[in-house]
Amino acid sequence: MTSAAIKLDQVTKTFDGRVMAVDAVTLDIAAGEFFSLLGPSGCGKTTSLRMIAGFEHPDSGRVHVGGKDITDLPVHRRDMGMVFQSYALFPHRTVAENVAFGLRMREVPKPEIERRVAAALAQVALTGFETRKPGQLSGGQQQRVALARALVVEPPVLLCDEPLGALDRKLRQQMQFELKELQKRLGVTLVFVTHDQEEALAMSDRIAVMNGGKVEQVGTPTEIYERPRTRFVADFIGEINILDEGGQLRALRPEKIRLVAAEGARLSGTVETSNYLGGSTLLRVQPTTGPSMLVRETHAGARASRAPGDLVGLTWNDSDAVALES
Amino acid sequence: MTTAARPSPIAWLIAPAGLLFVLFFVLPFAVMTAMSFYSGNPVTNPNAFLTTRHYERFIFDTAGIFHEALWSTLRIGLITTVVSLLIGYPLAHWMARMQSRLGHALVLMAVIAPMLTGIVVRTFAWMTILQDKGVINTTLIQWGLIEKPLPLMYNEFGTIVALVHIYVPFMVLTLTGVIGRIDERLEQAARSLGAGRLRAFVEVTLPLSLPGILAGSLLVFALSISAYVTPSLMGGTDVLTLPMLIAQQVGTSFNPNFAGALGVILLLVSLAIVVAYNRILARLAGGQGMA
Repeated sequence: MTSAAIKLDQVTKTFDGRVMAVDAVTLDIAAGEFFSLLGPSGCGKTTSLRMIAGFEHPDSGRVHVGGKDITDLPVHRRDMGMVFQSYALFPHRTVAENVAFGLRMREVPKPEIERRVAAALAQVALTGFETRKPGQLSGGQQQRVALARALVVEPPVLLCDEPLGALDRKLRQQMQFELKELQKRLGVTLVFVTHDQEEALAMSDRIAVMNGGKVEQVGTPTEIYERPRTRFVADFIGEINILDEGGQLRALRPEKIRLVAAEGARLSGTVETSNYLGGSTLLRVQPTTGPSMLVRETHAGARASRAPGDLVGLTWNDSDAVALES
Repeated sequence: MTTAARPSPIAWLIAPAGLLFVLFFVLPFAVMTAMSFYSGNPVTNPNAFLTTRHYERFIFDTAGIFHEALWSTLRIGLITTVVSLLIGYPLAHWMARMQSRLGHALVLMAVIAPMLTGIVVRTFAWMTILQDKGVINTTLIQWGLIEKPLPLMYNEFGTIVALVHIYVPFMVLTLTGVIGRIDERLEQAARSLGAGRLRAFVEVTLPLSLPGILAGSLLVFALSISAYVTPSLMGGTDVLTLPMLIAQQVGTSFNPNFAGALGVILLLVSLAIVVAYNRILARLAGGQGMA
């Protein structure tokens, strides 16, 4: 399967002439990349995706796919697969008819349609479900039909708008693995919109964190997590302690802090609450001065050693406290 | 299980509706059917006897007007339904997909507003527009486009124009509800798979709105084949529908028994058409029919 690079160049979109949904966003997505747009609702991630798909036309700026400017190309000529949050399966059509739809629009000969539909359904482990209607399938199965329908036309680009949002946690995790595996096998460029930071970290090659219509930071999951550039990124992803060192804000992850004896530590304080999370325990420590700190104590086997009321000392490496842009 | 037999107190709330239904539908219909099989009124006339002669009179149609009346009733009903659908569907689709709430409210008002005026008033309004000395004809003559007035009313054309105007709101309201419940993303999904706007509409939205088309068409058809005021006023001597014939039989010929037979025939024929229509649409929609 071919894949194509996507470039958003200073793309801006306002709604009703007032609300700035997407504000001069520039993104370079490589061919074959799993790229996530991550942010809270209303940050502009879905609007950005819809501009790539062609459902929205940017007020200014250009969209390029595979080196071609497609800004003015109508949706149905863009040759992209799209998976919607609600799956958007055609309820009056069977599973096989749903998957065949894109091939039928491309006037692929009938025997070839049958062959490719069978192959696509096999790929998502739904062989035998051809004659069912979408309403007779579980959420996870509907999700896989939507994927097969989008991928059967072998698009160079697959766009996903929170495709796993409606699934329960266990199934979502399983689908995360399946989707990632499928994407790697097919080599398709995948743009994935989500508000779930764990999902973005787990699946993406790179992530763009968006806020208020702007891109705050683009980077690999490790870069985004370990070296957040702005306070928003640090806050949005995982738990964080923000330290104020003479006006310079620094972000410090709770698991980078070590618990030591109170004497001679960088900070000492009392454990206020202790949340047992299974693989780790999250402690809230109130130092003698300053705001309270989150400390993650990971434990292999034994559970946390500290209880509320205990006096503890905290220490960390300077390099782990990341300076934030103001 | 001892409480299972006791109806919920809420059930009593439908009692007035039930009573109304029995008093003003079931009872009159039973009386009408009974009367249609009597030679006269069995309550006032002890010599009245059971007969099928009213039905024979209609079937053999020696006067040569009854079959024509039935046919023109159905023809007017069908044309009115089709035209209402053609006008109503695009309007309903536009309303259902409107983003602005204010815009939606305004269009809804515009659709409903004519219903605030009575049918008689609206029909008279059409008369002032369509008659020989009406707005359209005088304007066209003044502009020199025509010399003699166009026959715009006192015929089937005028009748259908007025009926469509009166019944389009029913079509629009029924369709808007159904189309509004179709997820817009279905059409977007079709477009992302390579279907143009029109193709996406034909493949997705149209088949999914078949239940609405069915309900709206049946409503408009039922209303227009039973219309009396509008065909009488707009049709002149050119149009004779079954409801007009029934009124004649009751009002001027004093033959309520034959009128009853005509009523039963109209009901049976329209029921047969409704069932056939439902079957066809249900097959098109792949088993989504209403009955």
